[in-house]
Formats: sequence, structure tokens, C-alpha cells
Amino acid sequence: MDTLSSSFRDPSGFVFLHDKIVHRQVNNSFAASYDAFISSGLYDKLVERKLLVAHEEITDGSVAGTRDCYRILKPQQIPFISYPYEWSFSQLKDAAMLTLKVQHEAIRHGFILKDASAYNVQFLDSRPVFIDTLSFDTYTPGTPWVAYKQFCQHFLAPLALMAHTDVELSKLMISHIDGVPLPLASKLLPFKTRFNYAIATHIHLHSRMQQQHADNALDDTPATSKHSSLSEQSLKALMEALAKAVQKLTWKMPDTEWGDYYENTNYSDRAGEEKRDLVDRLLGSIPDQLTVVQDFGANTGEFSRIAAKHSALVVSQDIDPVAVEMNYRKSAADGPVNILPLIQDFSSPSPAIGWGNAERDSFLQRSHCDALLVLALVHHLAISNNVPLSNIAALFASLTQWLVIEFVPKEDSQVIRLLATREDIFPDYTRDGFEAAFRQNFTIEDSSPVAESERTLYLMKTRT
Amino acid sequence: MLRTLLALTALLSVSQGASAYLDPGTGSMILQGVIAAIAVVGFTIKSYWYKIRSFFGKGGSASLLDDDEDEQRSD
Repeated sequence: MDTLSSSFRDPSGFVFLHDKIVHRQVNNSFAASYDAFISSGLYDKLVERKLLVAHEEITDGSVAGTRDCYRILKPQQIPFISYPYEWSFSQLKDAAMLTLKVQHEAIRHGFILKDASAYNVQFLDSRPVFIDTLSFDTYTPGTPWVAYKQFCQHFLAPLALMAHTDVELSKLMISHIDGVPLPLASKLLPFKTRFNYAIATHIHLHSRMQQQHADNALDDTPATSKHSSLSEQSLKALMEALAKAVQKLTWKMPDTEWGDYYENTNYSDRAGEEKRDLVDRLLGSIPDQLTVVQDFGANTGEFSRIAAKHSALVVSQDIDPVAVEMNYRKSAADGPVNILPLIQDFSSPSPAIGWGNAERDSFLQRSHCDALLVLALVHHLAISNNVPLSNIAALFASLTQWLVIEFVPKEDSQVIRLLATREDIFPDYTRDGFEAAFRQNFTIEDSSPVAESERTLYLMKTRT
Repeated sequence: MLRTLLALTALLSVSQGASAYLDPGTGSMILQGVIAAIAVVGFTIKSYWYKIRSFFGKGGSASLLDDDEDEQRSD
């Protein structure tokens, strides 16, 4: 059975692949809870509010489970899996609010979330959606929420760090698979956050309580037994308090080097229009159907929006958190919804982490696509990052069938800027050198100069 | 023996749900109770306030987590 290497912690069931489609097995131990989840109307309500992925039950025997199998579910598929350390500030914030909304609805129906992991959330059509159908336990009024700490580690701590310390700190989740440890978050947050009630309680005080009681189990002693119960009204109030805490976290976007990007490049308005038409034409000329297009170095997604007309999904990635944030806010508000903005450094993309280095796939493992859009990027890889053109070509070829790529020559103002403070050790970085390097892995189907610049845009097909 | 069994059952019935698998952390459980006890006062007042509002025909919800226009966005 092709079980997903990330699916092993929850004894209620697990996720596996059958014919390359993701399925979920509900184990016998969870049968009663699952049935109650469905019959209570909670499933229907969550799907109606678009908070949870819908699923169908496979009852025709076409998909086999293990001996412990109660039911096989086929959920709505997520076309591109992304992880919290790749999300912009608002994406993580929306994922946090989603989790609380799911919890709120669950409590209303007599259920409660077993966990509050950011990995329970994925993005579909520019909005976060809950994917763990088995995360719902029956709620006994009086019981506290076992996932409160996890919520603070996966959501509140990274959001607070991004808002108050540095937006780059979401990357801490790469080295901490269960979210940012609260003592660490507490140390990294500025002193002024101790005067912020939400952060002072859920993070600073929480960290101290954790350390103080590290060796105590909840037992029958008078000190702890009165804290092992929480009324339903108190639980609801806690959820509201967390929602308010999340809502109040805002990130003030700084000016980054990409801030006035589109002002300081080589295009006049007419040229910009022509480049957009050119990209549109080249993508439109691809004979195959495009399901996933990846746009690397997408900045705020200007060209991703063109690609979105040609593909079911465009994954729109950039190294700059500001650009990705702007991209997400735009697609969440105005669309198109088939764009997934993500933060990614192509020269060192997200690694595989977790148990066996296989719990969360690396970025490249997830990145096979039908077409790749690489505009205004290759000079950063070849010159700033010193990667030989043939290595770049080989990596792209391993990911895609089609490539739309812009060659940015040394005469271009951006490259002049890159070479201004260093030795030019790139004799092969010429248009001929570029074409020769890429011809090793691709055939050049079409090329066209980019108006009012020295650049050339290519359509290439990967050699089989 | 019977007393111990009763105590254990009582403890289990106010601890984790049937299929919970996370370690909640003792400190977290305690803190949760404290924060919730403070939060419930304000939230209860807010709920009554919204009840009064709706009696006068004004809409809105005391909760930040109810259905809102975000969810009505058509895709």
C-alpha cells in the first residue's frame, strides 16, 4: 500500500495513494466517531461553508484498505501541496483563522479538533481549506482543548514573530516541524510584546508555564485537578480570544529591493504591454493541456496572471515575502483564483523534513509541472549565484515539459548592476552560450526579442 | 480499590477525548483554564450585548468565527 510517508501519527486513519490519487482510510477504531461526524451534520456544514475538503466514500471495492479498514474516502484533490514555511504572512494568518472557524463549527455540533497543526491546511482557489477529515473528536463538555499548545506553536508564535520581529522567521518552521517552540518565540519577540495582552498570555506566559510544569503530569493533586476541566462557554471564549489575537496581528510591509521593481527595469508602458502579449502568445502556442504551470521569480505575479488563462493552476513563486504577500492579497481579493503564491528561494528551495526526511516533501519533489515560466530570473541564478547555465538547464529539464524563459544579457541594466561590484568571470554568459547550454536539454521551438530591451524570450521543449 | 477505580475513571472522563493523540502539555492545560476564565467574562457580556442588538433588529454576531461575506465569495 502506497501510504504517504507523512501519515502515521494519528491512529484514527491514514492517507495513501491509489492510482496516483490521494485517498484516506478510516480505521475501525475511529468508526463511531466518523459516523457521528457525518450524521451530526458537521461534515455537511463545513463543506457548505467551504472550510473542509469534500470527499466521497468508495464503497464499490475498487480501492482496497488494510485489515483495520472501516471506510475508504476519496477527498477533493489538492493540485499543489505547500507548507507553512512557504506561506506569506496573510496566508498563514488566513490558515489560522480557518482552523479557529473549523473548531467553532465543530464545538457547535458537539465535536472538537484533535490537533491544530498548520499541515492540516492547504490552499485551494486562493483560500485556505482544512484537509484532515479525521481530525474531529467527540467533545465532552468540561474537557480542555488538547491542541491549544500546538495552535500557539504552529500559528500564533510564527505570526507574532513575522509581525513583530522579522517576516523571514516563518522559516523557523523548516527546522521545527511541530511549530516554533514557545520559549524560543518568547526570547525572539521584542520586549514591547510583553505589554500586548494576547502575546503576553499565549506566548510569554505560556512558555513559562510550559517550562515550570515540564515534569508534572496532570494528577489528582489540588493544584492541578481544578485546571483539568474547562466549561463549554469557557472553551468558546478561548476560541474567540485566539481569533481576536490572530486578527490583531498585522505585518507592516517594509520597502524591499523589489519594492519599485517595475519602475527601475527596462520597460516603457508599451514595451510592458508587448512583453505581456508575447508571453501570452508563447504560452498559448503550447499544444499540450496545461494543468500546473510554475512561475519562478514571479514577483507580484504580473505574468502569472497571464499564465492563469492557459493553465488550471499557476504556482507563483518568489524569494521576496513582500511580493508574495501582495500577490496573495490581490488574488484572494480580485482573483484570478487559480494562482497559488508562495515564498521560495529557487537557489535553495525547501528541503524534505521530518521523520526519515520524508514527512514533508522537498520543493523539487512537489514541483513537476507542465510548463515553467522563468522571466527575469536566469541572470540571478547564473551571475549572482554562480550556477553554470548547463546546470540551470538540467534542473529545469528535470521538472517540466515546456519552458518559457527570458535571457537577460550583459547589456541589460539589471546585469550591469549585478556585475558592477564584482569580477566578470562569465565568458559564456552570452546569447549563443545560453542557447548552446539549453540545447543540451531542450529544443528551441520559438524565440522573439523583447521590445525596448536587449532581452530574448524563448519557448523550449524538453528533450525526451 | 473501588475508590481508586472511581478516581481514575473520573480523571479519565475529564481528560482527553477518545481518539486524541497529542500530548497537550500540563502547563498549557493550566494556562488555558486561566485565560479562558478571564476571556469568558468579556465574551459573555459581548454575547448578551449582541442579543440585545438583534432584539432591536440589528444584525451581526458576537463571534468572529461565524459565517461572513468572505465565505460568500463566488469562485
